[in-house]
Amino acid sequence: MIEPLTYAVVGASAILCVVAIWYAVRDRLIDDLLLLLAGLVELGLVVLLVGGLLDLGHITDSAERATFVAYLVSLPVIPVGTAFLAIKEKSRWAMGAVAVGAFAVAVMTARLLQIWVSYG
Amino acid sequence: MADASRRALGGPGVLLVVVYGVLALAATGRSVLQISEYFERAPLAYLLSAFAAVVYILATWCLARGGRWVRVGIVACAVELVGVLVVGLASFLVPAAFPDKTVWSHFGQGYGFVPLVLPVLGLLWFRRLEHSALARDTDSRASES
Repeated sequence: MIEPLTYAVVGASAILCVVAIWYAVRDRLIDDLLLLLAGLVELGLVVLLVGGLLDLGHITDSAERATFVAYLVSLPVIPVGTAFLAIKEKSRWAMGAVAVGAFAVAVMTARLLQIWVSYG
Repeated sequence: MADASRRALGGPGVLLVVVYGVLALAATGRSVLQISEYFERAPLAYLLSAFAAVVYILATWCLARGGRWVRVGIVACAVELVGVLVVGLASFLVPAAFPDKTVWSHFGQGYGFVPLVLPVLGLLWFRRLEHSALARDTDSRASES
């Protein structure tokens, strides 16, 4: 379950990143579509957090497991934080902030996937 | 105070807040686990990680609040810059002292050199905030008299 879900989250956050850049270029503010996308990414991350914590035994090396948990717990904070900023600060820069956050989520989730897959 | 924080957030400041926030998050998560899971492996590196994490959190807060936090933010960014330069250099000269990586090892290479660039951007941004605040203060004083 973890593996396909991480793929889905990487995909969704990549889409969110592109849409946010598009909004920044067109000077559009946060709207329902962007919030919906951010919400989907967030939902995926929360499910990933629960699923990952339940199946932690999968990662046998304790240092790798620690890294995995750190990423797992940090990740859901990002979409909430950037969406909050984008609602509070109405400018194209805020869309840039959403894009940067979405990019960070994609990279960190890809790293999660990398750790997970290395344990078969 | 409300308009001071809005001014701090305005424009490129939002971007800095997010980048700083992500770095603060990464550094905090990493150091909490390093210290709780295997502290004895590299105490110096892990203490430095924890220190870096605290400074990043502080800088993120100062960026988001602005106003009177600008001064604190300048100190935090300066500490980061010195930290990344000193630890970066030390990690090349005395690699034995750093058996495990910190955010600042090899000038932040593990984080795409973001830790090296960020304090400079932060300092520039804080300086701009300070200047605009000064200008505003003298403006309002002039209009009062």
